[in-house]
Amino acid sequence: MNIKTAYSTNKAPNGVAAEIKDQLEMNGVKAMLFFASSQYDADAVSAAMQSQYGDIPTFGCTTAGEIVSGKMLDNSVVGMAFNGRIIEDMKIAVLKNISENVKDAVDEAFKSFEAYYNTKMADMDFRKYVGIILIDGLAGAEEQIMDQIGDKSNVMFIGGSAGDDVQFVKTHVFAEGKAYSNAAVLVLIKAATAFDFIKTQSFQNLNKVLVATKVDAAKREVLAFDGRPAVEAYADAVGTSVDAIDEYFMSNPVGLMTGDEPYVRSPQRVEGSGIVFYCNVLEGMELSLLQSGDIVGDTRRALDDKLKTFGPVSGIINFHCILRTLELKNKSLTADYGLAFKDVPTVGFSTYGEEFLGHINQTSTMLVFK
Amino acid sequence: MAGQIKRMLDEIIRQRAKGDHTLTQTTKTKLILKGFNPDKYTALSEDSPEVIKKIRAVAAEMGIRI
Repeated sequence: MNIKTAYSTNKAPNGVAAEIKDQLEMNGVKAMLFFASSQYDADAVSAAMQSQYGDIPTFGCTTAGEIVSGKMLDNSVVGMAFNGRIIEDMKIAVLKNISENVKDAVDEAFKSFEAYYNTKMADMDFRKYVGIILIDGLAGAEEQIMDQIGDKSNVMFIGGSAGDDVQFVKTHVFAEGKAYSNAAVLVLIKAATAFDFIKTQSFQNLNKVLVATKVDAAKREVLAFDGRPAVEAYADAVGTSVDAIDEYFMSNPVGLMTGDEPYVRSPQRVEGSGIVFYCNVLEGMELSLLQSGDIVGDTRRALDDKLKTFGPVSGIINFHCILRTLELKNKSLTADYGLAFKDVPTVGFSTYGEEFLGHINQTSTMLVFK
Repeated sequence: MAGQIKRMLDEIIRQRAKGDHTLTQTTKTKLILKGFNPDKYTALSEDSPEVIKKIRAVAAEMGIRI
């Protein structure tokens, strides 16, 4: 096997790291990715994991729930080790102080990648290189960072926003033995094998369009749809009263459509007559009202389709929205969701947002290695 | 005048994708996520100076001369 996965619920950082390492023994490990519940001390678990792996780079983040082959977990650490048949080379960059200084941080990271690989980011072959982004889920910097990355390179960066078990207090990203808050970890991988992506969400387009006519982009707030207070327009679209709209937020988010593909924007809360979203909505954007569907069934179909077109896979990293996890928990379907990944080495976590070309919600973005 | 916005967006996609189908789609999606949907503009779309200025800024950030 070129990718191995493991998990542990040992409560002690040193113990959990040792148990993960024991399960991931293989020759020629090139990198170790791990996702840890925020129940663990972030500094201690990152240091413990790196201590187990010596000079082999480790990276990861805190979660709002963990995913490993066949299971959805809570209060655990999950890990994935890669050997040289998957990762030819890799370089980690940490972006600090991202709530204030995105452009310089991305520029600095990209310069380090260019120096390491001796290739300009703009010239890197998007079929040979792939990026992973793990980002503080409470800094509100995802859109700006993904914008900067997308402007400067054709290399795809896929990832998720770190969680803290739905406490919304503090999240961490991990790199090479340290833990960081208000930060992002970018990992640029030169792949030794083919890779591909899955982006899946479970929604039907209801063909009702809401145009954001007044927004406060910095606050991720829509003040008006179609020239009307956002709460009234949304209430009319879903067919309810303004007082009851928050009951519809999870089942009826809106999607920025690219063809038939929604880039989901999930409403978070009502603020006066506006609606605050979990990701940015820009003025003039046409958003389609969506209706939630069958997460487990759609995930199985997306996996089956990928296996048919891409062939057998060595492993999957799944960045899975916490809102999907909460819906699965409400419907007692977490075991079924986990089982969808029982035949493929998989790690993942419940995120505070998913990154795939931009920042999105209520989606699973997955990196798939052949 | 009309059609400049459509031409600018198409040119960004052309220069960035260099004919590659995957890059054509990803560049188009990046533009949509920035609020500029190439499919919403045609050769008859009015030349809004405000939108044109924003698209020039996007092109500059992408390192594209239009």
